[in-house]
Amino acid sequence: MFPLYSFPFSAMASRCEALVHAPDEASARACSDAAIAEVRRIETKYSRYRDDSVTTAINRAAGGAAIAVDEETAALLDFGAELHAQSDGLFDLSSGVLRRAWDFKLARLPDPAELERLLQLVGWSQVEWSAPSLRLPRAGMEIDFGGIGKEYAADRAATAMAERGAVHGLVNLGGDVRVLGPRPDSTPWRISIQDPRGRPGATVAQLEVPQGALATSGDYERYFELDGRRYCHLLDPRSGWPVAFWRSVSVVAPVCVAAGACATIAMLKPVDEALAFLEQQGLRYLAIDAAGERHAR
Amino acid sequence: MKRLLLIAGVLLIAGCSTVQPWQKGNLAKPAMAFDYDPLQTRFEDHTYFSKEGASGGAGVGGGGCGCN
Amino acid sequence: MSQSAGRKSASINRNVLAAALALPGVLPAAHAQVTVPNATLVHFKYLYYRDYQADSATGSGERMTINSPALYLLTPISDEWVFEIGAVYDSISGASPYFHTVLSGASGRGIEDGRTAADVTVTKYFGGRTAVSLRYAYSTEDDYRSNAYGLTVRHATADQNTTFTAGIGRSNDKISPTDGPQFEEDKETTDFLVGITQVMTPDDVGQVTLYYAQQRGYLTDPYKAFWGIDNRPDSRDQWAALFRWNHYSQTYDAAFRSSYRYYSDDWQVKAHTVTFEWAQSLPDGWTLTPSFRYTTQSSAEFYYDPIYDPLLGAPFPPGYLQNPNAYYTSDQRLAAWGGMTPGLKVAKALPGGWSVDAKAEYYEQRAEWRLGGEGSPGLENFKAQFYQVGVARKF
Repeated sequence: MFPLYSFPFSAMASRCEALVHAPDEASARACSDAAIAEVRRIETKYSRYRDDSVTTAINRAAGGAAIAVDEETAALLDFGAELHAQSDGLFDLSSGVLRRAWDFKLARLPDPAELERLLQLVGWSQVEWSAPSLRLPRAGMEIDFGGIGKEYAADRAATAMAERGAVHGLVNLGGDVRVLGPRPDSTPWRISIQDPRGRPGATVAQLEVPQGALATSGDYERYFELDGRRYCHLLDPRSGWPVAFWRSVSVVAPVCVAAGACATIAMLKPVDEALAFLEQQGLRYLAIDAAGERHAR
Repeated sequence: MKRLLLIAGVLLIAGCSTVQPWQKGNLAKPAMAFDYDPLQTRFEDHTYFSKEGASGGAGVGGGGCGCN
Repeated sequence: MSQSAGRKSASINRNVLAAALALPGVLPAAHAQVTVPNATLVHFKYLYYRDYQADSATGSGERMTINSPALYLLTPISDEWVFEIGAVYDSISGASPYFHTVLSGASGRGIEDGRTAADVTVTKYFGGRTAVSLRYAYSTEDDYRSNAYGLTVRHATADQNTTFTAGIGRSNDKISPTDGPQFEEDKETTDFLVGITQVMTPDDVGQVTLYYAQQRGYLTDPYKAFWGIDNRPDSRDQWAALFRWNHYSQTYDAAFRSSYRYYSDDWQVKAHTVTFEWAQSLPDGWTLTPSFRYTTQSSAEFYYDPIYDPLLGAPFPPGYLQNPNAYYTSDQRLAAWGGMTPGLKVAKALPGGWSVDAKAEYYEQRAEWRLGGEGSPGLENFKAQFYQVGVARKF
């Protein structure tokens, strides 16, 4: 049986890791190098903070003429459009601007006028998208791939490893995990779920994943508490306010993008609707509601 | 001959309940490709082309080799 | 869910997963799919070929040796364009298998020849499911030049489980022998192909291909015509049906590849060819692949056995004087026989995307191996060995 090699790295503001069983370190490194290169490529291409990124080019053109995007970006925009429709508007690639109203460090509620102004800039139905032409009609509008970037990178990285011969391994990008295949003895990987109210590293459950992906959305990643109420970074794009139906939702799906999107959408729905949504998707999940009750399948 | 084709065609289509994309991991292995070693295929096809009466089937515009 | 403006037409199976699977590169691509490759491949291989056929008249044998280095490169240029190039040089010495081995001693002609061939293929991918390839191939020897073109289109269904392939090709060859009578002749071949590739189960993929080719022009072997009696029609219509099946065995971690081809042409040659390979994965990146090929063919209708005209003697077929302009050939390639090729290939994957491989095959043609047993009389067994050694890198 081949030994297990671990390659930790930092990317997308997270602690990441590529794990692979390989006959020797050179082959393992070849796989992980490919995976890490792919993660960095996506990070560079879609980073809001880089002057030369696709995202910056799109956002700079807001309020002006349409721009043409490449095939990969077009596929991501199509995905965003499809999910906007399937989630009744909860999943919205144009909702990133709302972060300007919420300052999680200062722990302050937003100025209502500011929030109202920003809400005018949110709404996928305003976006003029017809591949390959994209136009954001109002200045200040933004497209933000942050909601799916990490999951997409996990899938691409895992595929890159598989194409270099990796069979038993996984890619973990800050908790968004994509498994290539089971462990060499055919047992599934056991992935722990962070306790939403515990210190970092405290786990509340384990899910077995022989292949496919696991992604978790939680209200503990970025938040502040005021007057006994928690305000987290997951905002309902229709109101601009954070949701508080769930502490965390973890979903297992064949690819990480699907797992992450389902987890995010479920987080934004009230308990009954969220469970109905997850059941309808036919995926395994572990959801912990605001009271700490678990719902699983 | 026509019956052979019909049977093969039926087998091909009938043998399939839809395979999902994430189930195709084994089909992605290099050994499962039809043309997994292009140079080997060329050598062998060329050898048999020049020693046998039968040829063809896999590609078009072969680029003759003068093996009349 | 209610309809809302801007939504595409509803389908029952729409869910998040279906939308996610439309994204590029989130799953490894099965080879049966139409997807842009994302790695550059460079292959180098060297072939050593040697054949032997006894001459029952003289007791000696005819031997041909070929040394052939070849190179292949595949590189994606963007996420839509792929470029491939191949080149091979054959260094040939010896004699080619002749007409009736009885005569080869008397008129066997030594060859020292070099053949160079190169080809380039450009492929464009559209919409994630369609690929169009244009190929140009050039081949040249002392006495021969060929320009060939091919256009192939592949299109996959949305689930990428079914791929349709269609191709059309054209070869223009010029033959100008350096020995014997000097002339220049043309030969044109037009060929067509249609096929379906189908993913049947997570471990099985199958393919059916129909092929048709039309050859027009000078189809006779000029050397045989000069030294013996060889006159062939100036047209040949060929048909082939090829069935392939690749099966992955989870129990053994091995791939079983098999194929069957039925061939038929209007010279009345009919052939059946089966091949089997078992690619066995072994520890440490080794793969061992035993293989076996069997082929059986009938003779062309104008092939004549080594029974010669009682008056004229060899090499004249019976009744030649009455019909001197009829079609005749004594080329063993158009006789009836069966052939077998056992082989063994060993390959090893090395770090950094490198791999090496070596293959040995032994090929023999015998009249008595013809299926049904009615092989052409008077044929000496034809034997050949070929070895390939290769190295490859994937970037």
